[in-house]
Amino acid sequence: MFIARSEYDRGINTFSPEGRLFQVEYSLEAIKLGSTAIGVATSHGVLLGVEKRVTSPLLVSSSIEKIVEIDRHIGCAMSGLQADARSMIEHARVESQNHAFNFNERLRVESCTQAICDLALRFGEGAQGEESIMSRPFGVALLIAGWDEDNGPQLYHAEPSGTFYRYDAKAIGSGSEGAQAELQSEYHRSLTLEEAETLVLKTLKQVMEEKLDSKNVQLASVTKEKGFQIYGDEQMATVVARLEGD
Amino acid sequence: MASIMNAGGLPSDQPGYSFSNASAPSESSGPRQHAFNPYTDNGGSTLGVTGADFAILAGDTRSTSGYNINTRYAPKLFRIGDDGDSSSRIVLSVVGFAADGNALKERLDAIVKMYKYQHGKPMSVKACAQRLSTILYQKRFFPYYVHAILGGLDDDGKGALYSYDPVGSYEREQCRAAGAAASLIMPFLDNQVNYKNQYIPASGTGHELQPRAIESLPKEDVIGLVKDAFTSATERHIEVGDGLQMLIITKDGIEEIYTPLKRD
Amino acid sequence: MPGFDFSNYNRNAALHARGVPLPKATSTGTTIVGCIFDNGVVIAADTRATSGPIVADKNCEKLHYISPNIWCAGAGTAADTEFTTALISSNLELHALSTGRTPRVVTVMTLLKQHLFRYQGHIGAYLVVAGVDPTGIGLFTVHAHGSTDKLPYVTMGSGSLAAMAVFESTWKRDCTKEEAIKVCSEAILAGIFNDLGSGSNVDVCVIEKDKPTQLLRNYFKPNERVKKERDYKFARGTTAVLNEKVITKEEIGRYVTVHELSSGSDSDSLVVVEKMDVDEV
Repeated sequence: MFIARSEYDRGINTFSPEGRLFQVEYSLEAIKLGSTAIGVATSHGVLLGVEKRVTSPLLVSSSIEKIVEIDRHIGCAMSGLQADARSMIEHARVESQNHAFNFNERLRVESCTQAICDLALRFGEGAQGEESIMSRPFGVALLIAGWDEDNGPQLYHAEPSGTFYRYDAKAIGSGSEGAQAELQSEYHRSLTLEEAETLVLKTLKQVMEEKLDSKNVQLASVTKEKGFQIYGDEQMATVVARLEGD
Repeated sequence: MASIMNAGGLPSDQPGYSFSNASAPSESSGPRQHAFNPYTDNGGSTLGVTGADFAILAGDTRSTSGYNINTRYAPKLFRIGDDGDSSSRIVLSVVGFAADGNALKERLDAIVKMYKYQHGKPMSVKACAQRLSTILYQKRFFPYYVHAILGGLDDDGKGALYSYDPVGSYEREQCRAAGAAASLIMPFLDNQVNYKNQYIPASGTGHELQPRAIESLPKEDVIGLVKDAFTSATERHIEVGDGLQMLIITKDGIEEIYTPLKRD
Repeated sequence: MPGFDFSNYNRNAALHARGVPLPKATSTGTTIVGCIFDNGVVIAADTRATSGPIVADKNCEKLHYISPNIWCAGAGTAADTEFTTALISSNLELHALSTGRTPRVVTVMTLLKQHLFRYQGHIGAYLVVAGVDPTGIGLFTVHAHGSTDKLPYVTMGSGSLAAMAVFESTWKRDCTKEEAIKVCSEAILAGIFNDLGSGSNVDVCVIEKDKPTQLLRNYFKPNERVKKERDYKFARGTTAVLNEKVITKEEIGRYVTVHELSSGSDSDSLVVVEKMDVDEV
């Protein structure tokens, strides 16, 4: 009996005869529809940048929240289904607080990423056959930036498939292909945080459909001294002005 | 640090007697209830002392119940997170109810080993100390009936020692004795390690007299003090004796010394 | 007034009802044993006295004199064994004086059980009575409530099981004096090493027909204290002096007689100010 290929994209626990999990692959497609997010790791700290799609002049742009704090030393930028990211970030925050409570030390950035990816795999039934808590894979990818005692500034990319990698610089979302190429050619190890700001905005500018201004992009940094910090309106204006000046 | 083990009596509106106003032990009248008593005291004593670049934990190896000796060799000192490559630098000592002590040791050991797998680095003594506290407090209303002492080296390579009450209140200290003969050993340690009640002769009159300054003792001196503490405790406490196990933690690893004690 | 003073009974009962714990009596945790042999009887005891888990005396005497040929080994509350044996010893001496006969072991046993039964176990004396009298060799145990036993070998105290294990495995009928001493001292050693209430040394008493009684004090000393690793001598002046008051010889002379001692010694570390006469054994 012939089974149509489309039969296999229903069950989230079912491999296709070619060995693919279509629902997971589709979730990666969902991310490609999302707004572009970029992360750049330097020796001074990690920089995150996202584009905000201000779809209406009536939309209050400050209500678009695509970079959030996980703990004082870890932040995260997202691309894809924002609502899905909420539960991942909630999980990461609890994990980080529990670690501090239990061990009197900061959670490592890698451990935090691992914790998020553990959650990302909780779709379908559990190993012991318990009821699943999620009906489908997450439709969001995260760029996790942080600074820890052991490894300094780090940037991780976590996918709905549950895999994660560490990057020097990474772009996700709709403009990721072009942005990644740009990062690849422009990135070098001796980048300062200020240069990274320019690199992120310059790259975003290239891939954004709208004209970049201080309202439709958002930056954040994680440094040893100040931890995670979202750039305020004034800071954003300064950085954007510097970019236009160049 | 306040501990539930020595909570004082509550103030009352009754006359201030010099004795506690506890109710009389129940007489044979009225209903009696037979309770399940899950705890026993297995006697013995432990102690820990730190120096500039080492920590020593020690404990006698006798296990008792009542006037009986269960065994003459039941160690109260355990290497925590030891996975065979001698990278472990943490030692736990437990005294009190031996079954709880073993359960606590097993649990902490498993957690420290899992931590290494999960976070890709060995657990620091500071982190382990906090984790042990949370383990103990999680059983606030059915406690592990033990006095624990945790020892190791801190991030700067200095000797680190943490002591606990049975429900997780803890403190970093220079030295601590626990268990049956704690009240015999602790004053000795206060005097010989922290030089309590010792003054520099002729350094002043009245309140100007200078207390003897605390210095970090060399390892050999501390080993001598520990042995003397235990031979003395063995003389005067019936639950202490048979053998003395010492674990000495330095940057080079954990050295174990066993010396026999009197067996009567 | 003979007997016990009960005048504080009501006060103490009221205090106890309010939760004041009873005072802790020194208990001689103890292993005591006795064993007869062809020509007499041997009793033995350990020398540890305890107060709770603390060793109160490392070398106390648990073998009590009753009469030249009757001795007692005592376990239980130290003061009770001490006073009960002394009381019976005293009465027995008067009895011996008025009858003009050597006292018998059964008499001691009977006096003890009558005394202890009267006090319904409140006198915590557990005794092994042994001796030789004109009727022969006697060996008894007396419990605090007044019950007694007559056996060829006996053990009492917290170490009685450890000691009895030795007797049950090695005792032989019709043994010699040497064999009796050996089995008794080994029974005590079993108590010393396996019972926490017993410890330190072995005391033995040998009572033989037509021979003087031998008290073998510290027959074995298997638990000598070891030398300390470190020296704990403090430099002179280490202890803070909070308050100082000088009383001159003239002042104190108003209340007591002061004798000048010839200080011929030039040692400044040890000045003998008073010499006490002590009994030498």
